[in-house]
Amino acid sequence: MKTEADYYALFEAYRAGGLADEEQAALEHRLAADPELAQRLSEFEKLTGMLTAYGRRQALRRRLQTIHAAMVAEQAPRLDLAKAADQDERREQLTARPAPRPMLRVSRTEEKLRAFWQGHRATMLVAAAVAVLAVFTTLLGLEMYRTAQQSSSSRNGYTMLRREVERIKRNQRSMNRAITQIDATQPTERINPGKFSGTGFALTSDGYLVTSYHVIQGADSLLIENRARQRFRAEPVFTDVAHDLAILQITDKDFIGFGRLPYAFKRNQADLGEKVYTLGYPREDLVFNDGSLSARSGFEGDTNFYQVSIPVNPGNSGGPLLDDRGNLIGVVSGRQMDVQSAAFATKSSYLMHLVDSLSTTGAGRPYNLPRANQLSGASRPQQIRKLQDYVFVVKVYE
Amino acid sequence: MGKGQPSYTDEEFVAAIRRDDDRALAQLYRLHFPMISHYVLQNSGTDDEAQDVYQEGVMVFYEKVREGSLELSCQIKTYLYAVCRRLWLKRLAEKNRFGGRLEDHEPFLETGAEADLELAEERDRQLGTMSQALDLIGEPCRSLLEGFYLLDKSMQQLTAEFGYTNADNAKNQKYKCLVRLKKLFFSQYQELN
Repeated sequence: MKTEADYYALFEAYRAGGLADEEQAALEHRLAADPELAQRLSEFEKLTGMLTAYGRRQALRRRLQTIHAAMVAEQAPRLDLAKAADQDERREQLTARPAPRPMLRVSRTEEKLRAFWQGHRATMLVAAAVAVLAVFTTLLGLEMYRTAQQSSSSRNGYTMLRREVERIKRNQRSMNRAITQIDATQPTERINPGKFSGTGFALTSDGYLVTSYHVIQGADSLLIENRARQRFRAEPVFTDVAHDLAILQITDKDFIGFGRLPYAFKRNQADLGEKVYTLGYPREDLVFNDGSLSARSGFEGDTNFYQVSIPVNPGNSGGPLLDDRGNLIGVVSGRQMDVQSAAFATKSSYLMHLVDSLSTTGAGRPYNLPRANQLSGASRPQQIRKLQDYVFVVKVYE
Repeated sequence: MGKGQPSYTDEEFVAAIRRDDDRALAQLYRLHFPMISHYVLQNSGTDDEAQDVYQEGVMVFYEKVREGSLELSCQIKTYLYAVCRRLWLKRLAEKNRFGGRLEDHEPFLETGAEADLELAEERDRQLGTMSQALDLIGEPCRSLLEGFYLLDKSMQQLTAEFGYTNADNAKNQKYKCLVRLKKLFFSQYQELN
């Protein structure tokens, strides 16, 4: 009985071709007849084949390592060719030993950072881009919002004083309701309070009025309301943006005229330190305020305006500025936010200039300006009593 | 690329490697290493990993050429790229770090590399089993078999090295070792499959 080792000896001789002819024939005969033996042979062949392949693979691996090491060595300082060839030969003699692997000197932390950067580069770039974009959009949006808010009413701390009525609309409605309850005979008339309001005053006795340009800016229709809550329709006749002036004309058919105006318009400039006062409608009622003429130039040195130390509020715009003797010297226009009680008023000299130039062109009805001043010498409350019928609320509908 | 070395075309490379020309293999290795190194480094690998992957790729190519079963339908460069790309993907999957798209800068589809790699992987498994079996078999069988099959030493050399009285004794010992290896190998191999 043959052991498996004996068979292996036989197989090896058979594969090497070292068997005598009759022995080989006998083995082949047996292989054909005995599947178990054939299986054994195939296993033997597989095993030896695998062993040789394994050997070759390892040899190849060593060769590649050598090549790599040579390449790295060559890349560092360029050796001359003879030396390199010499080294290659010596390396090949040493193939049994695996060549040392070239190591890159990188610290562990740096390696991790590098790996992280390599892996997440795209994501991080996108995130950074989005962040930058978001920041700039927000800043830009805020800036645009702010300028949009400012541009209409103020620039650089300058605030124009027309009043936004929408805010107190609700308040007024409730008041109206209260009135209706008290006086049941009055029809429940809905009063549209308008979007903005300012103050205006009479320029001539036959229906011309003066107010600030910014009060009627963007207006669809205008209503003039006097102290007795009488309303008249009005239209702008002329506007002067640079001096913030607007001249309105009452267009109602049943309007008969204001009567004789008690004040006169000053044609030259007023003096510094003069006591001045104004009347206006910052609320639903006529409000008096006084102060002094503190400078003969306005915001940022604008010589078209006076600076006056009168506390003014939104709604005072377009109000008359009068001196102690009851001469009209200006039209209230705005105030500076960051300065204590600095209000500005257009000089009456410019208003007169405007009226004169309008008269010479001859457009519309002639301007019959009041000549005499009935207020001089009267006490302040007397002056106001005479004045109050010539100061109006200008309501603006958009 | 060293000066004065012959430069090969793809066909010449294949022919030279089939002849087992060492210089051609070295040149081929140097020629395409930068490409793979760049690729692996760009896709979150290290220098060492690049070297490993590239060497494995070259081995697949080399063994195919030596077997004569290589059907090259593209450039050697493209073939190597496809093989190494696949190998690197596998590595990344093993490392569980693969979170996104790979950055490719070479074509890699329809190079025949996928099929070749599957065969190579099967072969790798078998060789791995063989390596384990050799580790388990113990001395002096391991040295004897390695001497004969891996290092191509003759039986006379081995007889002298291991101190056997004659070559027949050494041969008998070798056959016994083979039988043991066969048992180890096939039992391990069956376990794996």
